[in-house]
Amino acid sequence: MVRLLEGKVALVTGAASGQGRAASVLFAEHGANIAVTDLNDEGSAETVEMVEGAGGKGLPIHADVSRRDDVDAMVAAAVERFGRLDVLYNNAAVQMSGRLVDTTEEQWDLTIATNLSAIFWACRAAAPHLAAEGGGSIINTASVLGLIGSEGYAAYGPAKAGLVALTRQLATELAPAVRANVIAPGSIDTPRFQKVVEEMDDGEGFLSGLLQNIPLRRLGTAADVAGIALFLASDLSAYTSGTIVPADGGLAALR
Amino acid sequence: MSGLLDGRVAVVTGGASGLGAALVDRFTGEGARVVSADIDHPAGDSPDARAVDVTREADVAELFDDVVSRHGRLDVLVCSAAVEVRAPLAETTDDDWQRVLDVNLKGPFLSLKHAIPRMVASGGGSCVLMGSTLGALGAPQYSAYCASKGALVNLAKQAAIEHAPDGVRVNVVSPTACEAGLFLKMAEASGDPEGIKQFVAARTPMGRLGTIDDVCEAVLYLAADGSSYVSGTVIPLDGGLAARRIS
Repeated sequence: MVRLLEGKVALVTGAASGQGRAASVLFAEHGANIAVTDLNDEGSAETVEMVEGAGGKGLPIHADVSRRDDVDAMVAAAVERFGRLDVLYNNAAVQMSGRLVDTTEEQWDLTIATNLSAIFWACRAAAPHLAAEGGGSIINTASVLGLIGSEGYAAYGPAKAGLVALTRQLATELAPAVRANVIAPGSIDTPRFQKVVEEMDDGEGFLSGLLQNIPLRRLGTAADVAGIALFLASDLSAYTSGTIVPADGGLAALR
Repeated sequence: MSGLLDGRVAVVTGGASGLGAALVDRFTGEGARVVSADIDHPAGDSPDARAVDVTREADVAELFDDVVSRHGRLDVLVCSAAVEVRAPLAETTDDDWQRVLDVNLKGPFLSLKHAIPRMVASGGGSCVLMGSTLGALGAPQYSAYCASKGALVNLAKQAAIEHAPDGVRVNVVSPTACEAGLFLKMAEASGDPEGIKQFVAARTPMGRLGTIDDVCEAVLYLAADGSSYVSGTVIPLDGGLAARRIS
């Protein structure tokens, strides 16, 4: 197997489960060491075990990315442990739904802090390290909901759209030493997604309606997203920066 | 002569100077009763030129309560209050970042949140948010500003979809460098305003900067009934720059 991240170090936020875990393990299979960052220490410990099972070194880091001090500390901890940082994968997010007129100031502030400000802080802290080795890559997880207007995501949609704009901006400012790109997942089958569907009155009806609108006729998986992350993390994408890769089953072709 | 906004009640945030002040004048000339809300208005000066901090929910709620209680209705909202920080990423402080996001994004969020129910009660209305070319493309040293304006477009789309059935429209006008507002302030602070203006104008297909009239016409179009089937969209005011953009 060609190992695409041999000797590289990646910091992945939201790495205790789902897409962050899948990417951490895949990156490790490709030769990277991983700073496994999350609020959920138990989940992080499991991910670290899986990273080590895949042949990489894993460092669990506890961080609440909505707090700027935690974000600075997580970058410092990763660099201290591994001596370098090549990939910053900002995957952690909160998803609160709610219509604009019902969105409270607290919901707004937390969503903007976690899904937008946190990434700004992390990129600011990591940029010198990412640039130091050359070929650094920033991967930011936005959402299809940051690319389109929707209903009931009055804080989440703007935060993710802001993240797309921030990533484009970083791509202009941090070039040529560092690339920055966005993954925009659509409907991904993660534990959180399952929980949302279970809590619906007509979850099955919602799912079948959703699949009708996805050309590939299935939900995405964490592995689908991790594959895109690997591409963006590695030199396979060495000439790609400031762009958006949707993981949406072809949805973008329809709307 | 009848005006395009006869009998309408409008609120313009950031109405104390620059483009906002020009919009207040233009709307007034079209027959609207206009309330300007700006942190730079002296407190207690005039009920229609109110000192308001758009980042404080209590201030914003009070503003719209007062407008409806004095003028009886609300038809038009223009969110024009904005700030700009130009600094490399490493030198963009937490305070800079937060201030830009608060004024340019949370301000419009709070304004829409409190204006829209009052528009619905008035039978519908139109909201116009002032965006920027930098919401659609990146530029070095504008991390906070780009993020705030990119997010603003999505905020407008959310509000447009959620309130389309209520007869409330929400759109964005995205100027590039204009002979007014934040660009002019930046150019004047640079030490070579004419040089910067000429440089930017030369990169624009039309070979000139935007004018205050360009902006007023576009905002007036979106505020008035001529755009009654237009919502959730962005009108670039950029002398043709958008035609060069990869889509």
